[in-house]
Amino acid sequence: MNRRQFCNLAALSPLIKPPSGLPTYTIATRFKPAQSPGSPGRWRGKVIKVYSDVCIDTSSNRVNAVVVREMLSAGIQKLTGTSDDRAAWAQFISKEDVVGIKVNCSGAPKIHSSPELVGAIITNLIALGVPASNIYIYERFEDQMRVVNFPRFVPSGVKIVAAEAINGSGGTILGYDPETYVEVNFFGEDDTRSNLTRIVSERLTKIINVPNMKEHQAAGVTGCLKNIAYGNFSNVARSHQNEKTNTYSFIGTLASVEPVPSRTVLHVMDGLRGVWHGGPFLRDPKFLFFPKQIMLGTDPVAMDRLLIDIIEEKRKSEGAPSIFDRSTDQLKSRGRLDTHFNAFIREPGHVEYASHLGLGEYDIRRIQQEVVKL
Amino acid sequence: MRLFLALVIPSLLWDSGPETAPVLKQQEITAIAVPTSRAAAWQRVPGISLTVVDPLQLTRVLTPSLADPPANESAATRRPWVNSNGWRFLRNPQGNYLYEAPGVASALAAAESFTFGVPALIHTDDKGLAALGRMLTLLRTVDAPRNPSLANIGFVDDGTEPSAEFMNLLVRKNLLFQVFKTPDPKMALNVIPGSADYPQSEAGRPSLLAERVRDNLNDEKRLLRIFGSDNVIGRLEGTAGVARLYLINYGGAKRPIHGLRVRVLGRFSHQAVIADTEKLRLFDIREFDAATEFTIPELTMFAVIDLSR
Repeated sequence: MNRRQFCNLAALSPLIKPPSGLPTYTIATRFKPAQSPGSPGRWRGKVIKVYSDVCIDTSSNRVNAVVVREMLSAGIQKLTGTSDDRAAWAQFISKEDVVGIKVNCSGAPKIHSSPELVGAIITNLIALGVPASNIYIYERFEDQMRVVNFPRFVPSGVKIVAAEAINGSGGTILGYDPETYVEVNFFGEDDTRSNLTRIVSERLTKIINVPNMKEHQAAGVTGCLKNIAYGNFSNVARSHQNEKTNTYSFIGTLASVEPVPSRTVLHVMDGLRGVWHGGPFLRDPKFLFFPKQIMLGTDPVAMDRLLIDIIEEKRKSEGAPSIFDRSTDQLKSRGRLDTHFNAFIREPGHVEYASHLGLGEYDIRRIQQEVVKL
Repeated sequence: MRLFLALVIPSLLWDSGPETAPVLKQQEITAIAVPTSRAAAWQRVPGISLTVVDPLQLTRVLTPSLADPPANESAATRRPWVNSNGWRFLRNPQGNYLYEAPGVASALAAAESFTFGVPALIHTDDKGLAALGRMLTLLRTVDAPRNPSLANIGFVDDGTEPSAEFMNLLVRKNLLFQVFKTPDPKMALNVIPGSADYPQSEAGRPSLLAERVRDNLNDEKRLLRIFGSDNVIGRLEGTAGVARLYLINYGGAKRPIHGLRVRVLGRFSHQAVIADTEKLRLFDIREFDAATEFTIPELTMFAVIDLSR
């Protein structure tokens, strides 16, 4: 393939022309959008919230796996308008699919996608006839995944894989697709490419996204979008320097790179626990809270829009500044344990920006939110 | 462009006596430089070719290395700092250089001086002998009359310290340049310190200036781009239809690189690799209209990649 062919293929995916002042992104991908992309999918703007007061014991921080299974069942049926789990899951996955479950382990071991929830999803996939060997739980960094102990909660044969061994220097680009990337120069860094994980481009036919409910020091919140963006691409930490972060436009740009939106058919946000300050890590137990819910949908923007409200409400109740606060008075690089300070100017506007890239519905008036209480 | 017609294998500067000859031969070191005081004793030793030098007349250079920023101090960057002598060799390739390179740094020193076409002397300790011997053996397999170095940036060197650091940053960023006394119209870009683009008032901000060079050239026109590590410095030599790429990982065996994506301007269908990592093969090779890209699965310290159409 020559450069021209490559560029032609690249041009088939969204070429981002950012508003002035934003970085210029070049997307290289050989993948075309699916006829019916998984995200924002069939239920654009629709979000199902399932609550249960007993899904987690807040004193022991222990998840009730049985209740979580019931929550998942109620949520998927409500989303699809069916009364049968198998029929509901069949709307997203077929037994021929190779399914990746994109978990979030960036805050492990203290906060991460609950293995009980991941296990419940896999149970449904297997019930559909997807062989365990065609199911992958995946993340970028193996060291973060290993501490979660997913194997205990999933059938043998399910593969647990990461793109690279560790987070930090000494990582590798070998787990990433050299032909699918976003190229952008933020701060003069020499390595200007962020490449998609190979498992997404080369192996998976469908992705189920299982993010957490967290405030994020740079992005404002980290939910569906960030988990399929920063969680699927290499070399993304370069987007922050000093108080400046480019998450505003980078998250949506990454999330829009094919085949990510086409193959991501379902988002199940794990809100059994959450982090309301200092995210994506749990730097102090006092920042842990218990929304006691899961959110389901095919529209990552709509779900993250609701996540913003959840985090804002919690921060307000704790007397912490809004994540939309852009005052420089709140900047303090080592102020992570003080809720009045942050290392970055947060960019929760990344969710709205992603909506302009066709990734979903941001307008709260157009988001159809349905709540199930167990 | 300058032709390096001479062979440029670096040598060991050895100040021990001839009783150590078996140790050197064991490491396949068969050419050494010795100080004048040792010359007479070594001249009687068979199988070792000798150069006599006065170490005081040699220009001492940095021990090549990778340095992490101090953990508990603020620093401009958290990226490791590459201690390289590339700029010095480009400024004065005729210089007589001496490395003080204990341990495995001896091998890095040999790779660096070879890459920049400078037959430097390397003083090392007993621990460094084996590493140096292995590297010299490797270098001998690729040593041949050199093609011209490839660069499309001309740096008009005024000989000052700020210009030295400016060049250092260009080397670190793999912005391939040649040093001139006056601008060369054949270059895609000429960099003149003190000119409007690179004013004297910014001489103390070499990183900013180097970034401006990059902007003025633009990434598409760069002869060499490296993705996946900030610790690698590369040089290119070539002539019509062929190019030789030298890559040095300044982290060495302590910080091997698992996966490096390289983009070289020009189309090359054939590749061959010589490296200190066994059985190294390039993969994900792609030719574009103006460039060739490939992935190196592992880079320990040094690799030479021959490219041809």
